[in-house]
Amino acid sequence: MKAIKRYGMIIDLTRCTGCHSCELACKLENKVPISIWRMWVKEGVKGNYPDIMRVYLPILCNQCDNPTCVTVCPVKASIKRDDGIVIVDPHRCIGCRYCMAACPYGMRHVNPLLGIVQKCDFCLHRVTEGEKPACVISCPNGAMIFGDLSDKQSEISRYLAKHRVTVLKEDTGNLPHVFYVNLDGELADKKGMPE
Amino acid sequence: MDINLTYNVPMQETFGTYIAVYFYLTGLSAGSFILSSLRYVFGFEKFKPLAKPGVVLAAILLIMAPLALLIHSGHPMRAWHLFVFINPSSPLSWGSFLLTIYPIVCVIYAYFMFKENAKMAKIMGIIGIPSAIFVHGYTGVVLAVAKARAVWATPIMPLLFLVSAMISGIALMMIVCAIQGYFFSKDKKINSELLFTLGNMLIWIIIFDLFLVVCDMLTHYMGHKGGIEATIHMTTGFFGFTFLVVEVFIGKIIPMIVFAIPGLRKNWIYVLMAVIIMIGIFVMRYNVVVGGEHIPLV
Repeated sequence: MKAIKRYGMIIDLTRCTGCHSCELACKLENKVPISIWRMWVKEGVKGNYPDIMRVYLPILCNQCDNPTCVTVCPVKASIKRDDGIVIVDPHRCIGCRYCMAACPYGMRHVNPLLGIVQKCDFCLHRVTEGEKPACVISCPNGAMIFGDLSDKQSEISRYLAKHRVTVLKEDTGNLPHVFYVNLDGELADKKGMPE
Repeated sequence: MDINLTYNVPMQETFGTYIAVYFYLTGLSAGSFILSSLRYVFGFEKFKPLAKPGVVLAAILLIMAPLALLIHSGHPMRAWHLFVFINPSSPLSWGSFLLTIYPIVCVIYAYFMFKENAKMAKIMGIIGIPSAIFVHGYTGVVLAVAKARAVWATPIMPLLFLVSAMISGIALMMIVCAIQGYFFSKDKKINSELLFTLGNMLIWIIIFDLFLVVCDMLTHYMGHKGGIEATIHMTTGFFGFTFLVVEVFIGKIIPMIVFAIPGLRKNWIYVLMAVIIMIGIFVMRYNVVVGGEHIPLV
Protein backbone atom coordinates (compact mmCIF):
# COMPACT_ATOMS: atom_id res chain seq x y z
CA MET A 1 0.00 0.00 0.00
CA LYS A 2 1.27 3.42 -0.90
CA ALA A 3 1.59 5.84 2.00
CA ILE A 4 -0.48 9.02 1.79
CA LYS A 5 1.66 11.96 0.79
CA ARG A 6 1.62 15.34 2.49
CA TYR A 7 3.36 18.02 0.50
CA GLY A 8 4.97 20.95 2.20
CA MET A 9 7.64 23.55 1.70
CA ILE A 10 10.46 25.04 3.72
CA ILE A 11 11.79 28.48 2.86
CA ASP A 12 15.21 29.05 4.38
CA LEU A 13 15.53 32.81 4.68
CA THR A 14 19.22 32.58 5.59
CA ARG A 15 19.73 31.59 1.94
CA CYS A 16 17.27 34.02 0.34
CA THR A 17 18.86 36.96 -1.43
CA GLY A 18 15.63 38.60 -2.56
CA CYS A 19 16.18 38.11 -6.29
CA HIS A 20 12.43 37.72 -7.04
CA SER A 21 13.08 34.89 -9.48
CA CYS A 22 10.49 32.66 -7.76
CA GLU A 23 7.91 35.40 -8.28
CA LEU A 24 8.74 35.62 -11.97
CA ALA A 25 8.89 31.85 -12.49
CA CYS A 26 5.46 31.45 -10.90
CA LYS A 27 3.97 34.11 -13.09
CA LEU A 28 5.40 32.54 -16.26
CA GLU A 29 4.61 28.96 -15.33
CA ASN A 30 0.99 29.55 -14.34
CA LYS A 31 0.19 32.30 -16.87
CA VAL A 32 -0.96 34.61 -14.07
CA PRO A 33 -2.58 37.76 -15.52
CA ILE A 34 -1.03 41.17 -15.18
CA SER A 35 -1.45 43.00 -11.83
CA ILE A 36 -1.92 39.69 -9.99
CA TRP A 37 0.62 37.58 -8.17
CA ARG A 38 0.29 34.08 -6.80
CA MET A 39 3.50 34.38 -4.84
CA TRP A 40 5.79 37.28 -4.28
CA VAL A 41 8.73 38.42 -2.22
CA LYS A 42 7.86 41.00 0.39
CA GLU A 43 10.80 43.29 1.04
CA GLY A 44 11.66 45.59 3.88
CA VAL A 45 14.44 47.77 5.22
CA LYS A 46 15.20 47.43 8.90
CA GLY A 47 17.00 49.74 11.30
CA ASN A 48 18.41 53.25 11.15
CA TYR A 49 21.40 54.42 9.16
CA PRO A 50 24.19 53.19 9.33
CA ASP A 51 22.93 50.01 11.02
CA ILE A 52 20.63 48.94 8.25
CA MET A 53 19.56 45.60 6.87
CA ARG A 54 17.34 44.43 4.03
CA VAL A 55 14.93 41.63 4.85
CA TYR A 56 12.96 39.41 2.47
CA LEU A 57 9.93 37.21 2.83
CA PRO A 58 8.71 35.07 -0.08
CA ILE A 59 5.01 34.40 0.52
CA LEU A 60 2.72 31.92 -1.18
CA CYS A 61 -0.35 29.87 -0.32
CA ASN A 62 0.32 28.00 2.92
CA GLN A 63 -1.68 24.89 1.91
CA CYS A 64 -3.18 24.84 5.41
CA ASP A 65 -4.26 21.67 7.16
CA ASN A 66 -7.35 23.49 8.42
CA PRO A 67 -8.08 25.80 5.49
CA THR A 68 -10.62 28.59 6.03
CA CYS A 69 -11.16 28.92 2.29
CA VAL A 70 -12.40 25.32 2.03
CA THR A 71 -14.71 25.79 5.04
CA VAL A 72 -16.44 28.84 3.62
CA CYS A 73 -16.71 27.93 -0.08
CA PRO A 74 -20.47 27.70 -0.76
CA VAL A 75 -20.15 25.32 -3.74
CA LYS A 76 -17.26 23.11 -2.59
CA ALA A 77 -15.08 24.46 -5.39
CA SER A 78 -12.14 24.81 -3.01
CA ILE A 79 -10.94 21.33 -2.15
CA LYS A 80 -8.16 20.06 0.07
CA ARG A 81 -6.63 17.07 -1.67
CA ASP A 82 -5.42 14.01 0.25
CA ASP A 83 -1.84 15.10 -0.37
CA GLY A 84 -2.58 18.39 1.43
CA ILE A 85 -2.67 20.69 -1.59
CA VAL A 86 -5.66 23.06 -1.62
CA ILE A 87 -7.02 23.58 -5.13
CA VAL A 88 -9.88 25.46 -6.79
CA ASP A 89 -12.07 23.60 -9.25
CA PRO A 90 -12.19 26.06 -12.18
CA HIS A 91 -15.43 24.61 -13.55
CA ARG A 92 -17.30 24.81 -10.27
CA CYS A 93 -16.15 28.17 -8.86
CA ILE A 94 -18.83 30.85 -9.16
CA GLY A 95 -16.47 33.72 -8.36
CA CYS A 96 -18.22 34.88 -5.20
CA ARG A 97 -14.82 35.75 -3.61
CA TYR A 98 -15.83 34.63 -0.15
CA CYS A 99 -12.67 32.53 0.08
CA MET A 100 -10.59 35.60 -0.70
CA ALA A 101 -12.31 37.48 2.10
CA ALA A 102 -11.83 34.63 4.57
CA CYS A 103 -8.21 33.63 3.82
CA PRO A 104 -6.08 34.99 6.69
CA TYR A 105 -3.06 35.19 4.40
CA GLY A 106 -4.69 37.05 1.50
CA MET A 107 -3.15 34.55 -0.91
CA ARG A 108 -6.05 34.16 -3.32
CA HIS A 109 -6.84 36.29 -6.30
CA VAL A 110 -9.70 36.61 -8.74
CA ASN A 111 -8.73 36.21 -12.36
CA PRO A 112 -10.23 39.20 -14.21
CA LEU A 113 -10.20 37.30 -17.52
CA LEU A 114 -11.89 34.13 -16.31
CA GLY A 115 -13.99 35.49 -13.44
CA ILE A 116 -12.95 32.70 -11.08
CA VAL A 117 -10.75 32.64 -8.01
CA GLN A 118 -7.30 31.10 -8.40
CA LYS A 119 -4.48 30.32 -6.06
CA CYS A 120 -1.07 28.71 -5.74
CA ASP A 121 -1.41 24.91 -5.96
CA PHE A 122 2.29 24.07 -5.62
CA CYS A 123 2.26 23.79 -9.46
CA LEU A 124 0.06 20.71 -9.31
CA HIS A 125 0.59 19.93 -13.00
CA ARG A 126 4.32 19.64 -12.29
CA VAL A 127 3.99 17.84 -8.96
CA THR A 128 1.81 15.08 -10.45
CA GLU A 129 4.56 14.49 -13.02
CA GLY A 130 7.13 14.13 -10.24
CA GLU A 131 8.65 17.55 -10.82
CA LYS A 132 9.14 20.32 -8.29
CA PRO A 133 7.16 23.59 -8.38
CA ALA A 134 8.45 26.34 -10.64
CA CYS A 135 9.49 28.63 -7.79
CA VAL A 136 11.58 25.88 -6.19
CA ILE A 137 13.34 25.11 -9.47
CA SER A 138 14.03 28.77 -10.14
CA CYS A 139 15.60 29.56 -6.76
CA PRO A 140 19.32 30.04 -7.43
CA ASN A 141 20.36 29.50 -3.82
CA GLY A 142 18.25 26.49 -2.95
CA ALA A 143 16.33 28.50 -0.35
CA MET A 144 13.07 26.73 -1.14
CA ILE A 145 12.77 23.05 -0.31
CA PHE A 146 9.72 21.15 -1.50
CA GLY A 147 8.78 17.57 -0.76
CA ASP A 148 6.69 14.96 0.97
CA LEU A 149 6.50 15.55 4.71
CA SER A 150 5.16 12.06 5.50
CA ASP A 151 8.22 10.42 3.93
CA LYS A 152 10.83 10.54 6.69
CA GLN A 153 13.71 10.06 4.25
CA SER A 154 12.81 12.98 1.97
CA GLU A 155 14.98 16.09 1.78
CA ILE A 156 12.31 18.27 3.40
CA SER A 157 11.79 15.91 6.37
CA ARG A 158 15.51 15.73 7.07
CA TYR A 159 15.80 19.52 6.76
CA LEU A 160 12.84 19.98 9.08
CA ALA A 161 14.44 17.70 11.69
CA LYS A 162 17.62 19.77 11.74
CA HIS A 163 16.23 23.31 11.73
CA ARG A 164 13.91 25.34 13.87
CA VAL A 165 11.00 26.54 11.76
CA THR A 166 8.13 28.99 12.21
CA VAL A 167 4.93 29.60 10.29
CA LEU A 168 2.99 32.76 9.48
CA LYS A 169 0.00 33.75 11.66
CA GLU A 170 0.10 30.67 13.84
CA ASP A 171 -2.71 32.07 16.04
CA THR A 172 -5.33 31.57 13.31
CA GLY A 173 -5.16 27.81 13.90
CA ASN A 174 -4.98 27.10 10.18
CA LEU A 175 -1.89 24.85 10.51
CA PRO A 176 0.08 26.14 7.52
CA HIS A 177 2.45 23.78 5.72
CA VAL A 178 4.89 26.36 4.41
CA PHE A 179 7.63 26.65 7.02
CA TYR A 180 10.19 29.39 7.37
CA VAL A 181 13.70 29.20 8.77
CA ASN A 182 14.93 32.43 10.32
CA LEU A 183 11.64 34.26 9.74
CA ASP A 184 11.76 37.95 10.50
CA GLY A 185 8.71 38.51 12.69
CA GLU A 186 8.70 42.27 12.22
CA LEU A 187 8.56 41.97 8.45
CA ALA A 188 5.80 39.38 8.70
CA ASP A 189 3.79 41.72 10.96
CA LYS A 190 4.33 44.84 8.87
CA LYS A 191 1.38 45.14 6.51
CA GLY A 192 0.33 47.38 3.70
CA MET A 193 2.02 49.04 0.78
CA PRO A 194 5.38 50.86 0.80
CA GLU A 195 4.96 54.56 1.57
CA MET B 1 13.48 48.41 15.47
CA ASP B 2 12.12 50.53 12.65
CA ILE B 3 11.03 48.63 9.61
CA ASN B 4 9.83 50.02 6.31
CA LEU B 5 8.43 48.03 3.44
CA THR B 6 10.09 48.54 0.09
CA TYR B 7 8.10 46.04 -1.97
CA ASN B 8 4.71 44.44 -1.53
CA VAL B 9 1.69 43.56 -3.64
CA PRO B 10 -1.68 45.30 -3.16
CA MET B 11 -4.62 43.15 -2.15
CA GLN B 12 -7.54 42.76 -4.53
CA GLU B 13 -10.95 44.00 -3.52
CA THR B 14 -13.02 41.06 -2.34
CA PHE B 15 -16.55 42.12 -1.36
CA GLY B 16 -16.75 45.76 -2.25
CA THR B 17 -19.70 48.05 -2.85
CA TYR B 18 -22.05 45.50 -4.42
CA ILE B 19 -22.07 43.37 -1.29
CA ALA B 20 -22.65 46.49 0.81
CA VAL B 21 -25.68 47.27 -1.40
CA TYR B 22 -26.88 43.69 -1.00
CA PHE B 23 -26.62 43.86 2.80
CA TYR B 24 -28.45 47.19 2.75
CA LEU B 25 -31.33 45.83 0.66
CA THR B 26 -31.79 42.67 2.75
CA GLY B 27 -31.70 44.83 5.88
CA LEU B 28 -34.40 47.13 4.52
CA SER B 29 -36.46 44.11 3.53
CA ALA B 30 -36.20 42.43 6.94
CA GLY B 31 -36.95 45.70 8.74
CA SER B 32 -40.03 46.49 6.66
CA PHE B 33 -41.32 42.92 7.01
CA ILE B 34 -41.13 43.11 10.79
CA LEU B 35 -42.91 46.49 10.75
CA SER B 36 -45.64 45.09 8.53
CA SER B 37 -46.09 42.10 10.86
CA LEU B 38 -46.85 44.39 13.83
CA ARG B 39 -50.48 44.61 12.78
CA TYR B 40 -51.25 41.03 11.75
CA VAL B 41 -49.05 39.07 14.16
CA PHE B 42 -48.86 41.27 17.24
CA GLY B 43 -52.20 43.00 16.77
CA PHE B 44 -51.17 46.65 17.02
CA GLU B 45 -54.03 48.33 15.15
CA LYS B 46 -52.10 51.59 14.99
CA PHE B 47 -49.70 50.13 12.41
CA LYS B 48 -52.40 48.95 10.04
CA PRO B 49 -51.57 51.49 7.27
CA LEU B 50 -48.02 50.07 7.10
CA ALA B 51 -48.92 46.40 6.81
CA LYS B 52 -49.56 46.26 3.06
CA PRO B 53 -46.81 48.59 1.79
CA GLY B 54 -44.42 46.94 4.26
CA VAL B 55 -44.83 43.44 2.91
CA VAL B 56 -44.82 44.57 -0.73
CA LEU B 57 -41.59 46.47 -0.17
CA ALA B 58 -40.11 43.52 1.71
CA ALA B 59 -40.77 41.20 -1.23
CA ILE B 60 -39.56 43.67 -3.87
CA LEU B 61 -36.37 44.58 -2.00
CA LEU B 62 -35.53 40.95 -1.44
CA ILE B 63 -36.02 40.13 -5.09
CA MET B 64 -33.70 43.04 -5.94
CA ALA B 65 -31.04 42.10 -3.40
CA PRO B 66 -29.67 38.94 -5.08
CA LEU B 67 -29.24 40.92 -8.31
CA ALA B 68 -26.41 42.76 -6.56
CA LEU B 69 -24.90 39.36 -5.77
CA LEU B 70 -25.16 38.27 -9.39
CA ILE B 71 -23.41 41.44 -10.59
CA HIS B 72 -20.66 40.92 -8.02
CA SER B 73 -20.14 37.27 -8.84
CA GLY B 74 -17.62 36.38 -11.52
CA HIS B 75 -19.83 33.69 -13.06
CA PRO B 76 -23.51 34.61 -12.63
CA MET B 77 -24.61 31.80 -14.94
CA ARG B 78 -23.24 29.26 -12.47
CA ALA B 79 -25.58 30.41 -9.70
CA TRP B 80 -27.35 27.04 -9.86
CA HIS B 81 -24.19 25.47 -8.40
CA LEU B 82 -25.29 26.93 -5.06
CA PHE B 83 -28.30 24.61 -4.96
CA VAL B 84 -26.54 21.50 -6.19
CA PHE B 85 -23.12 21.52 -4.54
CA ILE B 86 -24.03 22.35 -0.95
CA ASN B 87 -21.37 22.99 1.68
CA PRO B 88 -23.04 22.92 5.13
CA SER B 89 -20.09 24.68 6.78
CA SER B 90 -20.47 27.77 4.60
CA PRO B 91 -22.92 30.53 5.61
CA LEU B 92 -23.27 31.52 1.94
CA SER B 93 -24.64 28.06 1.27
CA TRP B 94 -27.37 28.57 3.89
CA GLY B 95 -28.05 31.97 2.42
CA SER B 96 -28.87 30.62 -1.01
CA PHE B 97 -31.78 28.70 0.55
CA LEU B 98 -32.88 31.52 2.85
CA LEU B 99 -32.92 33.92 -0.08
CA THR B 100 -35.22 31.53 -1.92
CA ILE B 101 -37.61 30.74 0.93
CA TYR B 102 -38.05 34.24 2.30
CA PRO B 103 -39.52 35.96 -0.80
CA ILE B 104 -41.94 33.04 -1.22
CA VAL B 105 -43.12 33.44 2.39
CA CYS B 106 -43.44 37.18 1.77
CA VAL B 107 -45.59 36.68 -1.31
CA ILE B 108 -47.91 34.17 0.40
CA TYR B 109 -48.21 36.47 3.41
CA ALA B 110 -49.03 39.38 1.13
CA TYR B 111 -51.63 37.26 -0.70
CA PHE B 112 -53.52 36.46 2.50
CA MET B 113 -53.25 40.05 3.66
CA PHE B 114 -54.74 41.41 0.46
CA LYS B 115 -57.48 38.77 0.69
CA GLU B 116 -58.21 40.11 4.22
CA ASN B 117 -57.74 36.60 5.61
CA ALA B 118 -56.38 37.71 9.02
CA LYS B 119 -55.99 34.21 10.45
CA MET B 120 -53.84 32.83 7.62
CA ALA B 121 -51.94 36.13 7.43
CA LYS B 122 -51.05 35.73 11.08
CA ILE B 123 -49.77 32.18 10.51
CA MET B 124 -47.66 33.28 7.54
CA GLY B 125 -46.41 36.24 9.56
CA ILE B 126 -45.31 33.92 12.36
CA ILE B 127 -43.36 31.90 9.77
CA GLY B 128 -42.13 35.08 8.13
CA ILE B 129 -40.62 36.83 11.14
CA PRO B 130 -37.98 34.13 11.85
CA SER B 131 -37.15 33.88 8.15
CA ALA B 132 -36.75 37.67 8.00
CA ILE B 133 -34.41 37.50 10.99
CA PHE B 134 -32.45 34.62 9.45
CA VAL B 135 -32.20 36.15 6.00
CA HIS B 136 -30.63 39.25 7.38
CA GLY B 137 -28.85 37.65 10.34
CA TYR B 138 -26.97 35.22 8.12
CA THR B 139 -25.31 38.13 6.31
CA GLY B 140 -23.80 39.10 9.65
CA VAL B 141 -22.61 35.51 10.09
CA VAL B 142 -21.01 35.64 6.63
CA LEU B 143 -18.80 38.47 7.82
CA ALA B 144 -18.32 37.11 11.34
CA VAL B 145 -16.78 33.80 10.22
CA ALA B 146 -14.19 35.50 8.00
CA LYS B 147 -11.76 35.31 10.87
CA ALA B 148 -8.91 37.10 9.17
CA ARG B 149 -10.59 40.51 9.22
CA ALA B 150 -10.73 42.02 12.69
CA VAL B 151 -13.56 44.44 11.88
CA TRP B 152 -15.79 41.57 10.69
CA ALA B 153 -14.82 38.72 12.97
CA THR B 154 -16.93 39.65 15.96
CA PRO B 155 -19.79 37.52 17.34
CA ILE B 156 -22.10 40.53 17.70
CA MET B 157 -21.90 41.29 13.98
CA PRO B 158 -25.24 39.50 13.22
CA LEU B 159 -26.95 41.37 16.07
CA LEU B 160 -25.45 44.67 14.93
CA PHE B 161 -26.77 43.97 11.45
CA LEU B 162 -30.25 43.10 12.71
CA VAL B 163 -30.54 46.23 14.83
CA SER B 164 -29.40 48.46 11.99
CA ALA B 165 -31.86 46.63 9.73
CA MET B 166 -34.65 47.57 12.12
CA ILE B 167 -33.48 51.20 12.09
CA SER B 168 -33.42 51.40 8.30
CA GLY B 169 -36.71 49.51 8.05
CA ILE B 170 -38.50 51.92 10.39
CA ALA B 171 -37.01 54.91 8.58
CA LEU B 172 -38.24 53.50 5.27
CA MET B 173 -41.72 53.02 6.79
CA MET B 174 -41.71 56.66 7.94
CA ILE B 175 -41.09 57.74 4.35
CA VAL B 176 -43.77 55.31 3.15
CA CYS B 177 -46.20 56.69 5.73
CA ALA B 178 -45.56 60.25 4.53
CA ILE B 179 -45.89 59.37 0.83
CA GLN B 180 -49.03 57.36 1.51
CA GLY B 181 -50.61 60.21 3.44
CA TYR B 182 -49.55 63.00 1.14
CA PHE B 183 -50.37 61.43 -2.21
CA PHE B 184 -52.73 58.51 -1.74
CA SER B 185 -55.06 59.27 1.18
CA LYS B 186 -58.45 60.86 0.72
CA ASP B 187 -57.77 64.06 2.68
CA LYS B 188 -54.12 64.36 1.46
CA LYS B 189 -52.93 64.57 5.05
CA ILE B 190 -50.02 62.72 6.60
CA ASN B 191 -50.85 60.41 9.50
CA SER B 192 -48.73 62.43 11.97
CA GLU B 193 -49.54 60.25 14.95
CA LEU B 194 -48.09 57.17 13.25
CA LEU B 195 -45.07 59.13 12.04
CA PHE B 196 -44.30 60.34 15.55
CA THR B 197 -44.79 56.85 17.03
CA LEU B 198 -42.26 55.45 14.57
CA GLY B 199 -39.87 58.27 15.50
CA ASN B 200 -40.28 57.39 19.17
CA MET B 201 -39.51 53.74 18.43
CA LEU B 202 -36.39 54.82 16.58
CA ILE B 203 -35.01 56.68 19.62
CA TRP B 204 -34.77 53.47 21.62
CA ILE B 205 -33.50 51.30 18.81
CA ILE B 206 -30.81 53.86 17.96
CA ILE B 207 -29.74 53.91 21.62
CA PHE B 208 -29.44 50.12 21.56
CA ASP B 209 -27.51 50.29 18.29
CA LEU B 210 -25.09 52.88 19.66
CA PHE B 211 -24.59 50.69 22.72
CA LEU B 212 -23.68 47.74 20.47
CA VAL B 213 -21.31 49.87 18.38
CA VAL B 214 -19.54 51.13 21.51
CA CYS B 215 -19.28 47.56 22.86
CA ASP B 216 -17.88 46.37 19.57
CA MET B 217 -15.27 49.12 19.32
CA LEU B 218 -14.31 48.86 22.99
CA THR B 219 -13.77 45.09 22.93
CA HIS B 220 -11.75 45.50 19.74
CA TYR B 221 -9.66 48.25 21.26
CA MET B 222 -8.88 46.24 24.38
CA GLY B 223 -8.40 43.01 22.46
CA HIS B 224 -5.65 41.58 20.31
CA LYS B 225 -3.36 43.38 17.91
CA GLY B 226 -5.65 43.10 14.90
CA GLY B 227 -8.54 44.53 16.91
CA ILE B 228 -6.55 47.57 18.03
CA GLU B 229 -5.52 48.14 14.43
CA ALA B 230 -9.17 47.86 13.37
CA THR B 231 -10.35 50.41 15.96
CA ILE B 232 -7.69 52.90 14.94
CA HIS B 233 -8.57 52.35 11.28
CA MET B 234 -12.27 52.97 11.91
CA THR B 235 -11.98 55.93 14.29
CA THR B 236 -8.91 58.01 13.52
CA GLY B 237 -7.69 56.32 10.37
CA PHE B 238 -8.90 56.14 6.79
CA PHE B 239 -12.56 55.43 7.64
CA GLY B 240 -12.68 57.81 10.62
CA PHE B 241 -14.73 60.46 8.85
CA THR B 242 -17.32 58.16 7.34
CA PHE B 243 -17.63 56.11 10.52
CA LEU B 244 -17.63 58.69 13.30
CA VAL B 245 -19.06 61.74 11.53
CA VAL B 246 -21.37 60.41 8.80
CA GLU B 247 -22.52 57.11 10.28
CA VAL B 248 -22.59 57.72 14.01
CA PHE B 249 -23.05 61.47 14.39
CA ILE B 250 -25.16 62.51 11.37
CA GLY B 251 -26.84 59.15 10.80
CA LYS B 252 -27.72 58.23 14.37
CA ILE B 253 -27.10 60.87 17.07
CA ILE B 254 -28.67 63.88 15.30
CA PRO B 255 -31.94 62.06 14.37
CA MET B 256 -32.13 60.60 17.87
CA ILE B 257 -31.89 64.04 19.47
CA VAL B 258 -34.36 65.53 17.00
CA PHE B 259 -36.91 62.78 17.70
CA ALA B 260 -36.47 63.31 21.43
CA ILE B 261 -37.30 67.05 21.34
CA PRO B 262 -41.09 67.61 21.47
CA GLY B 263 -40.80 71.07 19.86
CA LEU B 264 -39.52 69.54 16.63
CA ARG B 265 -42.58 67.39 16.03
CA LYS B 266 -43.23 68.44 12.46
CA ASN B 267 -43.92 66.15 9.55
CA TRP B 268 -41.21 67.48 7.26
CA ILE B 269 -38.55 67.28 9.97
CA TYR B 270 -39.41 63.64 10.68
CA VAL B 271 -39.33 62.71 6.99
CA LEU B 272 -36.01 64.52 6.55
CA MET B 273 -34.56 62.65 9.52
CA ALA B 274 -35.82 59.35 8.07
CA VAL B 275 -33.96 60.08 4.82
CA ILE B 276 -30.81 60.95 6.78
CA ILE B 277 -31.09 57.71 8.77
CA MET B 278 -31.43 55.66 5.58
CA ILE B 279 -28.32 57.28 4.15
CA GLY B 280 -26.55 56.74 7.48
CA ILE B 281 -27.36 53.03 7.51
CA PHE B 282 -26.09 52.66 3.95
CA VAL B 283 -22.84 54.32 5.04
CA MET B 284 -22.75 51.88 7.97
CA ARG B 285 -22.93 48.89 5.60
CA TYR B 286 -20.27 50.44 3.42
CA ASN B 287 -18.02 51.10 6.41
CA VAL B 288 -18.33 47.56 7.70
CA VAL B 289 -17.84 45.80 4.36
CA VAL B 290 -15.32 48.04 2.59
CA GLY B 291 -13.69 49.38 5.76
CA GLY B 292 -13.23 45.85 7.06
CA GLU B 293 -11.43 44.62 3.99
CA HIS B 294 -9.46 47.84 3.56
CA ILE B 295 -7.04 46.75 6.31
CA PRO B 296 -4.29 44.84 4.49
CA LEU B 297 -3.56 41.26 5.50
CA VAL B 298 -0.04 41.03 4.11
